[in-house]
Amino acid sequence: MKHSRVLVLGIAVVVLAAIQGLGAATTTGNVTVSATVSATAKLALSSSTVTFPNADPDTSPSIAATEGAITITAKGKTSTGAAIALTILAADDLKSGTDTIAISNVTWTVSGAGFAAGTMNKTTAQTVGSWTGSGNRSGTQSYALANSWNYATGAYTATATYTLTAP
Amino acid sequence: MSMSDMPMARHQRLVLAAVTWALGLMLVPAAGAQSLRLTITPATISFASADPDTTPSILAPAITVSYRVRFNDTGNWQISLLASSDLTAGTATIAINNVTWTASPTPPFQAGTLSRTVAQTLASGTGNVQNTTIGTVVFRLANSWTYNVGSYSTSVVYTLTAP
Repeated sequence: MKHSRVLVLGIAVVVLAAIQGLGAATTTGNVTVSATVSATAKLALSSSTVTFPNADPDTSPSIAATEGAITITAKGKTSTGAAIALTILAADDLKSGTDTIAISNVTWTVSGAGFAAGTMNKTTAQTVGSWTGSGNRSGTQSYALANSWNYATGAYTATATYTLTAP
Repeated sequence: MSMSDMPMARHQRLVLAAVTWALGLMLVPAAGAQSLRLTITPATISFASADPDTTPSILAPAITVSYRVRFNDTGNWQISLLASSDLTAGTATIAINNVTWTASPTPPFQAGTLSRTVAQTLASGTGNVQNTTIGTVVFRLANSWTYNVGSYSTSVVYTLTAP
């Protein structure tokens, strides 16, 4: 029996050795691949000016901007589930010398997912768009000025600042 | 000596011969026992953060692949790549097929796209590569505004096989 066990063991060794010799030879190496994605925000507007022409308040109670709809492209990288926000804040009312038109007479409508209609404000930034997570979003914004016989003649101007935030 | 001892003596000789043969198969590189060498440097590569508009494809530093194939006769050999997973940062992921590579010299090296399910061929040939030979691999990450902020990582296994 002892010799039989030795024989079986010997044959097993032979079979294992034969399998090793016939099998594929393989060697491996590893490389760790890493990538850093940092918070980034990028805003593009198709026009940097908005102009409201003179108009009869009776026939044009709301004056559309001559530039038409402004195309807004808001791109941002943020953390998973974090909010990206686009706001606008007027620096002042529309002014022409000492004459003013309250900036709240300027409103806008929008198109595009995540964009929101609103009214211009000189003290509190107003939301133009908001999204969750990173992405490249595009939409339009159309300005209008509420017309009035009360406005004094003049060439009025104001500036407004868009802010895109990707925390 | 009894009659029953005779077969046992033959068994002993047979076992001795078998073990000797087996040891010979294991210790001496015979036909079908290829000698392979594979070295990858550096062991880590990184894709830096970049603006997708100005850098749509982010390059990583080049990787040097040193390899040697011996006792392969006329058999084929292959170096393949397999990612262990997508690029991962916590719960955020970047699909690994956004990572592509170019390689030289061609042949035996070839360009490709990383996969986490199917090993992709980086280089292949036939017969022996007697001297240690070097190839260069440059990985690229397709950049996108959709990537979430994070420090992503995965590992890629290089496998040199001679069947």
